[in-house]
Amino acid sequence: MKRNMLVAAVAAIVLCAALSASAQTAAPLTGETITVLLPPWATLPKDMTDRFTAQTGIKLSLQTLGWDEIRTKIITASIAGSAPADVTEVDWSWVGQFGMSGWYAPLNSMVDAPMAKDLPEAAIFTYDRKLIGIPYNNDFRLLIFNRQQLSAAGIAQPPKTLAELLADAKAIKAKGIVKYPLALPLSATEGTSTSWFLLTKAFGGDLFDNNLKPLFTSPDSAGYKALAWEIDALKDGLIDPAATGLKDVEVQELFKNGQASFDVAGWAGNLSVYTDASKSKVASAAEGALMPTVSGKTRTFGLPEAVGVPAASTHKAAAEAFIRWFVAPENQMESYTALGNLPTRTSVLKSLDDSGKLASGKALLAQAAVVEPLFRQGTPTWYPQFSSAVSAAINQAAKGQLSVDAAIRQIAAQAAEAQAQ
Amino acid sequence: MSPEIVNSETALERAGSASAVNRECMLGLAFVAPIVVVMGLLVFGPVLVTLWDSLHRVDPMRAGTPFIGLDNYRNLMSDARVLHAWLNTLAYVVFAVVLETLGGLGAALLLNRITWGRRWLLAAVVLPWALPPVVNAIVWSWIYNPSHGVLNSVLFSTGVIGSYHVWFNDRTTALLLVALVHVWRMLPLTAVILLAALQSIPAELYQAARLDGAGPLRLFSKVTLPLISGGLAIALSQSTVFAFNLFDEAWILNGSSLDTRSVLVQVYMSAFQDLHFSYGMALSVLVMFASLVISLVYVLRVYRETRYD
Repeated sequence: MKRNMLVAAVAAIVLCAALSASAQTAAPLTGETITVLLPPWATLPKDMTDRFTAQTGIKLSLQTLGWDEIRTKIITASIAGSAPADVTEVDWSWVGQFGMSGWYAPLNSMVDAPMAKDLPEAAIFTYDRKLIGIPYNNDFRLLIFNRQQLSAAGIAQPPKTLAELLADAKAIKAKGIVKYPLALPLSATEGTSTSWFLLTKAFGGDLFDNNLKPLFTSPDSAGYKALAWEIDALKDGLIDPAATGLKDVEVQELFKNGQASFDVAGWAGNLSVYTDASKSKVASAAEGALMPTVSGKTRTFGLPEAVGVPAASTHKAAAEAFIRWFVAPENQMESYTALGNLPTRTSVLKSLDDSGKLASGKALLAQAAVVEPLFRQGTPTWYPQFSSAVSAAINQAAKGQLSVDAAIRQIAAQAAEAQAQ
Repeated sequence: MSPEIVNSETALERAGSASAVNRECMLGLAFVAPIVVVMGLLVFGPVLVTLWDSLHRVDPMRAGTPFIGLDNYRNLMSDARVLHAWLNTLAYVVFAVVLETLGGLGAALLLNRITWGRRWLLAAVVLPWALPPVVNAIVWSWIYNPSHGVLNSVLFSTGVIGSYHVWFNDRTTALLLVALVHVWRMLPLTAVILLAALQSIPAELYQAARLDGAGPLRLFSKVTLPLISGGLAIALSQSTVFAFNLFDEAWILNGSSLDTRSVLVQVYMSAFQDLHFSYGMALSVLVMFASLVISLVYVLRVYRETRYD
């Protein structure tokens, strides 16, 4: 009897130990809490975060900050040697600075060859062969238009060239359908710079050559013509004069409220927001179209956003588990329908289109196929300084304080200064 | 009594008195020590570190932090954006100090005369100061909104303007409007400081002056003004320092636009956007010295011109 009891006790201890080990293998990170710092458009709904916790056992402390403020928080924390959060937003435009400073942990091991093929924009987040962010938002620009307003002006198809875009806008204004048909930001903010970069591509040019020398200084250059086009459109009353004080997200409100016919530098993911009747007054009329260009052959550039793990994070394994979950196909789909973040996985985009869930899917996929990087060499460390100089000069030109020529010269001078520093 | 005994008693008294002085000194030092430690750690220490770092190249994009002497300060002198920001800041200081002092003094004089419901009125006056500066600026950004702001609406409906204005398209107007938001927030503090000074003036002084034939203007210039000079100096100093440090209003209302960019916004841009930390530090050191020097001038002049002693 005693012997049997001893055997039973040993067996029970072995079983308990085995079960405990098995539980640890299944959820080794259970009970850990990680902080995740993201902008408003990436703040996941509670049911998604609850599901993540249920699946992994990791608790999330989700922090939402404005895009600019996130960058400031990352910089101040990183300079002090602490982690701003365990997972943070990493914008394409920060890659040069954050990569050079070594503030982010390399995530190369998270992306195998098939996944890398499915995530083409991962290359934009690679600095010195280190992947510092996994892209979650496939942001690129395309034209978004109000079909009803175009029809009311007798326009059957969206414009393919910049000349057609101007003519359509003038026709809509002439018929009194809307007062200011073109929605474009002209404030001293990032959205103003990126719109000019897009129009520079639309005019058939690029900002810099292979040696990072400016290509926009000559009056017959694409960048020069792009700025002149914007200022002329403003003077012709096609852009709201108040745009000198409006950020891109505020300009989008004009389109959503039916006060503008064209969101000229529309965010790809925003189509799902514009076509959502609970968020937009033009849900039944908003559509996407290929970005018009001077030649008629569309061009655009990518501004993807990623999530990365600060090198100072003390919960790297749990942070990586969150990122793996965040960019999983089913969660990218849900993030698109809930928040409008266009999936970065090609397979998910295709699947969404096949199921008819991708608003203006045909235009989106066609535009996605021609997305170019803004800097072929990778985002330089001086990009934020350059971009700030661009938006300040365009803002001054829009207010009539600088001519187009003077604004272009000012941008070129400050680009040289930023590169020299 | 022998001279030896007298000498030893005097020595004992001296020893007792010296020990009392020592005890008082120690007590005084014990009282002062916490604030010295706190100020040293949180104010003087960081100031010294900032001063030292401003003489180096501190830039996370570049290796090392070599000593570069006054290079940052020299470069600041020739940076057009910095000069622009200085001019904007000086305009803010002039607008803010003049309006806050005159408005604050007027409000304090009125509040001082009111006896019924003063505490409620005071609470209402203090409300803008109690609001966080960002909230204050956001509320005013709605008021100034060119499309649906109250300012355009009121001026248009009363016939003052013929069409809606984009207020921030004109630099002077933009500077004035940003300064007004700052004044709206900070004026209550000036009013409260001056009200406290006014309430400390004995009523007998006014009665005596009236018996001597003084009118309201003489009462104000010969009794009120000299006796609130201490409060006035504090009010002027805080107005100046806060106007030099204007950030939230300019940033919320007009972003990084050069038209309204204050020096502190430029510090933020240099340090946190361009990541040239020591360059931003050098600029912040200049801001600190500028506001200190101007405040010192106020304090000395106000004291000299308005005090009898």
